[in-house]
Parts: sequence; structure tokens; C-alpha cells
Amino acid sequence: MPTRRRGLLRRALVVTALTLMASASAQVNPLAPEKAFRFSARALDPHTVEARFSIADGYYLYRDKLHFAVEPAASGLTVPLLPNGKIKEDQFFGRVETYRGNLIVNLQLQATPPGQNVVVQAESQGCADLGICYPPNIQRVIVALPAAGSAPTPLDEAPKKQWFK
Amino acid sequence: MPVRTARQWFWLGSAALLALAGGVSLAVWDRAPRDASALFSLSLPDTSGQQQSLSQWRGKVVVINFWATWCAPCREEMPEFVRAQREFGPRGLQFVGIAVDEPDKVARFAKELDLNYPALIGGYGAVELSKTLGNDLSALPFTIVVDRAGTVARIQLGPFKPDKLRSIIGNLL
Repeated sequence: MPTRRRGLLRRALVVTALTLMASASAQVNPLAPEKAFRFSARALDPHTVEARFSIADGYYLYRDKLHFAVEPAASGLTVPLLPNGKIKEDQFFGRVETYRGNLIVNLQLQATPPGQNVVVQAESQGCADLGICYPPNIQRVIVALPAAGSAPTPLDEAPKKQWFK
Repeated sequence: MPVRTARQWFWLGSAALLALAGGVSLAVWDRAPRDASALFSLSLPDTSGQQQSLSQWRGKVVVINFWATWCAPCREEMPEFVRAQREFGPRGLQFVGIAVDEPDKVARFAKELDLNYPALIGGYGAVELSKTLGNDLSALPFTIVVDRAGTVARIQLGPFKPDKLRSIIGNLL
């Protein structure tokens, strides 16, 4: 490995170690729900919006608490098809289904004129493995629907950190 | 890539051990007000609809636990609260549950658990209240321990480890 990369790796290891030590003496801070259950949406075509939850490691969402809405209401959102999650037996509620990692739901709009903006609203409720639960949380994003015949808009992603060039 | 040096392993190993030793307690107590008067001035309905003023428990060691049936970690720690209430109630300990929840679900769970302390219904307003008491994330379970003088002794976000809870209660009774 070239010397420059080795130096970077060494520094990265030291920083990681120091961070771990610092966070051990401070309190463990659970993520804010918008970070634990990061919501984004983009148009796939004039009548389809891809809604996406990027769920942080160690966090999960409940399927039965997931609700989507699109404004204006005249957009004609049909009942979305939700993917299969993980099923577990809850002592109080019985069969419960949860999602982790990336959750993608396609929202079909029956009546939107092409080229319009819509507001996509997602309501979700989830918990962290470290032992807390959040109340239902609403997140909203604006999506520009393309005119007929356009390609899907690129996914709006957070910039990735890079240790190495 | 070169093999990690012994020195690097030392640093990583120490960090991991320290992280484990630090534990996962989620106390946020440097944020909370010290005086619990706002809590004692609260009046909330119980599961039968009767208004209960928290002021009736002033002078006791009060453990106020914000919870919900939809919060599994909340439900899981409550049997321990029931045990502690039974054991220390005669010495002046009072648990009070404030549920961010529907009364019928709370009543059903309270019955299952043979709950021996009040289960009050807070609704989402209770979440707002807990925010003013240091619960920035509005998360559950969120527990406040108040001493006999009405001072906040401890704030806990996340489940209360039984030995930690007993040690805090023991010191205050």
C-alpha cells in the first residue's frame, strides 16, 4: 500500500478509537427519528413515486404504523403495496411485522397531471434496539413529477464519507 | 495493506473495552429542571376516567414513568416496577405510570400485569410535557425519580436497569 494511504488508515484507526472511548464515557445518544428513519422520495415516472426509508442500523419500523399520503388529495394515491418485513411474536400484540435497512414503497398516483409538484407525506413509528421507542413521526418531501416520457429523477443521497481517495 | 501493529491493536482493544464498560444507560439528566413542581401540578385521568392530581403523592419518593403499550421496551420493564412498588411502597415509594396511549389498551395491560400503581392517561400531550423535562427525542420509556423534597433526583431515557433503579430508590427512601 502506498505510504500516504497507510498514514490515513493509521489516523482513521486512532480517531475511531478515541471516538469510541469518548462515547463510552459520555451518554449513548439515540438518533433523532428523522436520522434513524431517513425518508426520501423521487418520481419514477409521471404517475409513480418511489418512497424510501433508510433505516439506521439498530433501528426498526412497524409495518402497521406506516401510512402514506400525497397532496393534493386529487392526485389519487392508491393503497400502496408494502413489502414483506420480519415477523415476530409480541407478547401483547401478537404477530408484529417490522422493517430494517432500506424500505422501498412505490406510490401509484392515478390522477396527477404530468410535470406537477406533489407533497409526499410518510408517517412511521419505530424503535431502537437499545431500548427506546419513538411516537409516530411525520415526514414530508416535495417531489416534482416529470412530464410524460422522462427518465426517473436521480435519488437524493447524503454525500458519502471517504477515508481513502 | 500492512498487518496491524501491536500498538494499533492495543488502542482498538482498549477502546472496545471502555465502550463496553461505559454501558448503555441513557440518562439525560443534565438537561432536566431540578424542581418537580410542574409535575406535581399535573392532573390526568386514570383508566376509569377519574382525574388524578399528582400533588396527592407529594412527599413520597415518586417514580414517574412515561410509557405506552406500543412500546415493547416499556412493557418489559414494568414487572420490575410492580415488584419494587410492592416491596418499597410501605416505606413511601410511589410509582406513577403516564401512558401515551389509549385507555382501553392501558387498562388491558394493567390488568394483565396486576398493576399495583396508578396508570394515568397522558396522550400525546404527555410527550410534550416529557420534552420540557429533558426528553428531547420524545422517546419512551422516560422515567423521572423525584425525592421527598420534590427535587428531581434522576432522569432516565430508556429502560431502567433493576439494580440501578433499586440503588437510586434505596438512597432516597
